[in-house]
Amino acid sequence: MTKLKFMNLINSNAKFFFLLPLILMGCKKSEPITISALDYQNGVDKVTEIMIHDIFSPPVASRIYAYPNIAAYEIIAQNDPGYQSLAGQITHLQPIPKASNPAVNFPLAALVAHMEISKAVIFSEERMESYRDSLYDIWQNKNEAEFEASKTYGLEVAAFIKNWMDSDNYKETRTMPKFTVITEEPDRWQPTPPAYMDGIEPHWNKIRPFVLDSASQFKPTPPPAFSMEPDSDFYKELSEVYEISNQITERGDESEEVQIAQFWDCNPYVSVTRGHLMFATKKITPGAHWIGITEIATRSTDSDFNQTVFAYTKASIGIYDGFISCWDEKYRSNLIRPETLINQHLDENWKPILQTPPFPEYSSGHSVVSGASATILTDIFGDDFKFLDDTELPYGLPVRTFPSFNKAAQEAAISRMYGGIHYRAAIENGLAQGIQVGTLVNNKLKMKVK
Amino acid sequence: MKFNRNYYYLFLLLGFGACKQPEESLFRLLPASESGIDFQNTVTESDSLNILDYLYFYNGGGVAMGDINNDGLADLFFSSNQLKNKLYLNKGNLKFDDISSSAKVEGQSSWNTGAIMVDINGDGWLDIYVTAVVGINGFEGHNELFINNKDNTFTESSQKYGLDFQCYSTSAAFLDYDLDGDLDLYLLNHAVHTQESFGRAQIRNDRNEKTGDKLLRNDGAAFTDVSEEAGIYGGINGYGLGISVADFNKDGYPDIYVGNDFHEDDYYYLNNGDGTFTESLKTYFGHISRFSMGNDAADINHDGWPDLISLDMLAQDDAVIKSSEGDDMYQTLKMRTEQYGYHYQYSRNMLFTSQPGMPYLETALLSGVAATDWSWSALFADYDLDGEKDLFISNGIPKRPNNLDYIKFISNDEIQRKLIDGRLMDQEALEMMPSGKVANYFFKGDGNSHFMDVSSQWSTSVPSISGASAMGDLDNDGDLDIVTNNIDEPVSIYINQSKGNSLEITLSYKDKNPLGIGAKVYAYTQGKLHYQELYTVRGFQASSQPLIHFGLGTATLMDSLKIVWPDRSEQKLVNVKANELLKVSYNPTDTWVQEATTKKTLFARVTNNLGIQYEHREDHHTDFNYQKLIPYEVSDRGPAFAYGDLDGDGAKDLVFGGARNQQAEIYRATEAGFKKFESLALAQDSLYEDTAAEIIRDQASNRSSLLLGSGGNVVSPSLSILEDRNYTLSNSNLQKTSLPEHFVNTGVIKTNGEFTFVGNYSAPVNFGKIVPSYLMKNNAVVQTFEDLGMVTDALWDDFDKDGLKDLIIIGEWIAPKFFKNENGQFKEVNAVDAPLNGLWQTIIPFDIDQDGDMDYLLGNWGLNSKFSASAGHPMKMYYSDFDQNGSTETILATFQKDTYRPLLGLDELSGQMVFLRKKFNSYKEFAGKSIEEVMGETLKNAEVFEIHTLASGFLRNESNRFHFVPFSSELQIAPIKAFTAFDFDGNGTQEVLAAGNYFGVIPFHGRFDSFPGAMIHSEKNVQLGSTLGLHLAQKSVRRLEIIQQNNKPYLLIIYNNDKAEVYEFNQ
Repeated sequence: MTKLKFMNLINSNAKFFFLLPLILMGCKKSEPITISALDYQNGVDKVTEIMIHDIFSPPVASRIYAYPNIAAYEIIAQNDPGYQSLAGQITHLQPIPKASNPAVNFPLAALVAHMEISKAVIFSEERMESYRDSLYDIWQNKNEAEFEASKTYGLEVAAFIKNWMDSDNYKETRTMPKFTVITEEPDRWQPTPPAYMDGIEPHWNKIRPFVLDSASQFKPTPPPAFSMEPDSDFYKELSEVYEISNQITERGDESEEVQIAQFWDCNPYVSVTRGHLMFATKKITPGAHWIGITEIATRSTDSDFNQTVFAYTKASIGIYDGFISCWDEKYRSNLIRPETLINQHLDENWKPILQTPPFPEYSSGHSVVSGASATILTDIFGDDFKFLDDTELPYGLPVRTFPSFNKAAQEAAISRMYGGIHYRAAIENGLAQGIQVGTLVNNKLKMKVK
Repeated sequence: MKFNRNYYYLFLLLGFGACKQPEESLFRLLPASESGIDFQNTVTESDSLNILDYLYFYNGGGVAMGDINNDGLADLFFSSNQLKNKLYLNKGNLKFDDISSSAKVEGQSSWNTGAIMVDINGDGWLDIYVTAVVGINGFEGHNELFINNKDNTFTESSQKYGLDFQCYSTSAAFLDYDLDGDLDLYLLNHAVHTQESFGRAQIRNDRNEKTGDKLLRNDGAAFTDVSEEAGIYGGINGYGLGISVADFNKDGYPDIYVGNDFHEDDYYYLNNGDGTFTESLKTYFGHISRFSMGNDAADINHDGWPDLISLDMLAQDDAVIKSSEGDDMYQTLKMRTEQYGYHYQYSRNMLFTSQPGMPYLETALLSGVAATDWSWSALFADYDLDGEKDLFISNGIPKRPNNLDYIKFISNDEIQRKLIDGRLMDQEALEMMPSGKVANYFFKGDGNSHFMDVSSQWSTSVPSISGASAMGDLDNDGDLDIVTNNIDEPVSIYINQSKGNSLEITLSYKDKNPLGIGAKVYAYTQGKLHYQELYTVRGFQASSQPLIHFGLGTATLMDSLKIVWPDRSEQKLVNVKANELLKVSYNPTDTWVQEATTKKTLFARVTNNLGIQYEHREDHHTDFNYQKLIPYEVSDRGPAFAYGDLDGDGAKDLVFGGARNQQAEIYRATEAGFKKFESLALAQDSLYEDTAAEIIRDQASNRSSLLLGSGGNVVSPSLSILEDRNYTLSNSNLQKTSLPEHFVNTGVIKTNGEFTFVGNYSAPVNFGKIVPSYLMKNNAVVQTFEDLGMVTDALWDDFDKDGLKDLIIIGEWIAPKFFKNENGQFKEVNAVDAPLNGLWQTIIPFDIDQDGDMDYLLGNWGLNSKFSASAGHPMKMYYSDFDQNGSTETILATFQKDTYRPLLGLDELSGQMVFLRKKFNSYKEFAGKSIEEVMGETLKNAEVFEIHTLASGFLRNESNRFHFVPFSSELQIAPIKAFTAFDFDGNGTQEVLAAGNYFGVIPFHGRFDSFPGAMIHSEKNVQLGSTLGLHLAQKSVRRLEIIQQNNKPYLLIIYNNDKAEVYEFNQ
């Protein structure tokens, strides 16, 4: 241990000061670095926290979870015969470089790669860096050789995965045309109050999917034909949103339906306007909520590191493809939101319980990703998996308990109707669409050797 | 009233001795220690009452200036939001006594707003009306009317007068709208509902008692609410903050301009003279300020018509601009205007100059007053006594709630951290907004709608939060002092130390209006008209001293004065001496005669339009959806137009190009007018967007052909929609032959009979890509110009007088290019004597300086714009694939103060180049950064385009060398897109008619909509089209053409996205 590093140790971790003689004596020997499932969960939580700060739309958020998890998974699959590499199984992914240094600690390398790719996909890099550096400090001081070997390998894999990631069309879609609003067409989506934001990610169907053969593989049946004739199916669905909203609003904030709507809001940017004063209340995205449920599942099953990485990876792949599938439909049907129509035709002053998110209505994004996630998590952890969902606690929402992932997904789906932001067709067909995506992921990907 | 100049000199001495202000400073701030005025409007925030609970928590109190005890000295009244109101009696020598308590004017309301002095009962003594906000946040009380007891005490009598309103009042204005001799009241209220959704504009028709404005008619014993029958809006969406009263249309009845905050339009109420008003904003204003705050009306250009400024919140400091929420997104504005019915609104100050009977010219950017930060009061007056109206603007906000870091990052971190039950925010969270304390602005006017920022010369620029402002002559020294009510600081009293000549006039009128509110004063000196109307409610929640004031410059005599009394009678005075207070009592000698606004004009619309029914209709394409950072649209260049004999019958026919999905139209000349010629070939080609057209007569075959150049900014369904086409007419059938394939945007096609120049503009969805242009002869390319730039227009003209037609080519981001014809070979010659890249749109030869040789007039972008450029500091456009994703971007940078900065903000730039979001994690980090700091190394590989001048002007011919001379400012209001020369007035010499306007820009730029066209007789003689009978405002003119019908000339005007119009000449 050089003098410089010794000083660092003192500075960075003063509580070890009293252990100084011990460390000095034992400095030639290094203890092995143990990376636990908790470390990985903390890493994912950190990414979630930065994402909330940076503000990412739900589809983009799904991408931010997916690639770091895949990088980590590919590393552990190198070392654990219980898991198979995704190379050749998901689009364009080649086998990652093999670790040549026997000193590599694979979980550590996996975590390094996870942080490195996370840093590339979020905006506030220094937040990721300060988190990473605090961990690097600890590991370096524990066992420099093991750390360096693992870090080198982790970064090598990260570079490899980044290279693959860069060809997913994300960069190209940034400069593709914005959604063109045409208000003359009565069924076509229009920006909604209060921020009247442009439709987000109109080209997300051009993002390379992982498992889907194309964005349109699970094209849902179209929504009921637009009509403002009172006896049409479409109009009935519109009235249903309005009436349910009015009923539950009357019952008040404590009603079960309002609680459900708010619990599953998962809107990363709810803008609040008070005169000239504007601000935002930010929450996690639908994908992030299911990443949170995945964490709950891995914790409550005491999953080991590798199983934890596996569960996150498979869930995030499903969420990622779910958004591609859903967004493909959203900008195909370009359907107008209930808020716009209700304001135009039924009630000028009506406001949905949740803020309408800035993209077309059909199908419901939350329903799709909930369907996909629940299908995948059920496959991993079983069907009657009871859990207490405290994912939304940090955002001021209470916990809810669910008898199974599928029941949670069903509640998430119907929450969009209670929230006044979706018609029934988008919920039911969206959930089915998500289940198809999840089933495909389950059937197609050979990950855990059973 | 005493009027003693000696006081003035005494104070000069005292002033200079007492403080260290620079000697040349026009104003000195009178300290409380000297004046005895220690009032400050302290606002106390709490967790239950702050800007979150009440949106106008920071609007401040009011101020009123007037002589309440008739001792000849103006006294001061301040309303306080949460504390007691204050009345200070002027004791002379700028010493004041606080008599608030004994005068019984301290008030009972929880939240006071505007303060107005008015002689409501016509007894010759000023009363005080204080408005209040009542009924929200536990605010109690009512508007209070303090009737003057003539003994320095007052009796609150609002209930007796029926003026004890309990609404959300901002202020009130007193005017005699029905000319019955007493003063009526316009009560300005504001909405408080959270403006989360726009709602239809028409909800302004649904009257709301608390938020809706009210018009109260004075019926002697009491006031009657006549809002509904008078046509006054009173909706839940009226955020009334500003009010000006003036006879805007000079019909003898007072009109009203109301400034509304947020998305509600301002209201321009024209008085019908029968007790009703017609709200006419959209007719007379092309666009307005968005977050309208205070406003002020005054004649700033000596034409005897009231002009108007409406304030907003755009800052000058780049660091503030780029970290504040700015204008709407393109799409949002489009929805709000087209779908919800609101008008075009942009977040900056607007300066409107009156055009009698026609829409106002809006020139705030050109005039230099567009950006004064969070602005409350505007007061026009001649502060330096040079004979020209100057402008004072008060501004400041304790905390900037539109700070982007606060909105997007900081606020949520706080919410997240605390999770406050039942409330989203607490006071601590609100404290994290950045301060908006800024110095007030002083502008020196030049009488021609130009204002120079002299804030630091005229006063020491002390940052403050100044709202309500009043002016008057506190020390009776002949110049105007200004008082502002400040938040959390003592009031500011600016004592004017001018040395020039002035004339102050007080009026003594009859009946219940002894002060003559509504009287108009015309003053003439040295051939100049000075015009003023007496309304005291000016300067936001305030009233100024009831005083007419004129600066006289070097003159010591006013040649004549004409007073038009409210009863429309006139009184004249001649040879009035300056520097003495003039008291004029009502003694009319004449009856007022309304000025005619509809005199016979040179131009008049032809009712049948000569049979031309062409209307250009743009498609839904929005270029900014495809290339988010281009400086202006590319796909709105149409329509193309050609005028020539297509059918060979000896009469010239008309060809109008179509927009995308609209077919081109041919109108053949017949004796009965123009007749549309149906053509299958054109119908089949409707997919092309026609941007250039020319009819070419082949002398050999004696046949004509029509060349149509294509444009647009799309590549779908295929590039071939950009091909140029050639149509020939045979057997009444139009047949198409394609031209050499150049799949680019065609800018212009111009023939000289022998050669045809095809000038190209750019490649589709690749703005900045330079494409070649061509010279053709007999349908074959004979010369290629590889790198002309973005060509927009060309002219065949023998500029070197060697008998051969030379070619002059103009375009955007280039200088005019002169190509000399050397026996059919065209060689570029250097004919212009300075760097002259512009956004050139149109060119015409014209001897503008009347020296016998041909000059060239050039239409450019104009100077009424957020673009800025000079030869020394050109505007730059960087063109490259900055994010290396295969598509190009353009980034504009202008020189601001010390360096080049990007014109647009982080959201706009990162919307295209995501890497900037990684580079700048907050708006604060980005704001104020130079273009180099923002873009870094990526700039090195970029192609750089430059603009040296944005001014339209002319190339003065100096022996075949050309020197650029900018036009005068009335020709810089908007881009000039078309010229045509003709002897319109039949005086034997030609004039040039110029027209333009342009809307293809993002809301950041606004809308160039108020140029009414202009007739250029000569360099110094220009007449605006609004005075000639042309109705060109709010339309974008693309072509002016003189066409003949039965040997009579007409003017054909072709617009983008509108119907073509024909005018005839009343010579």
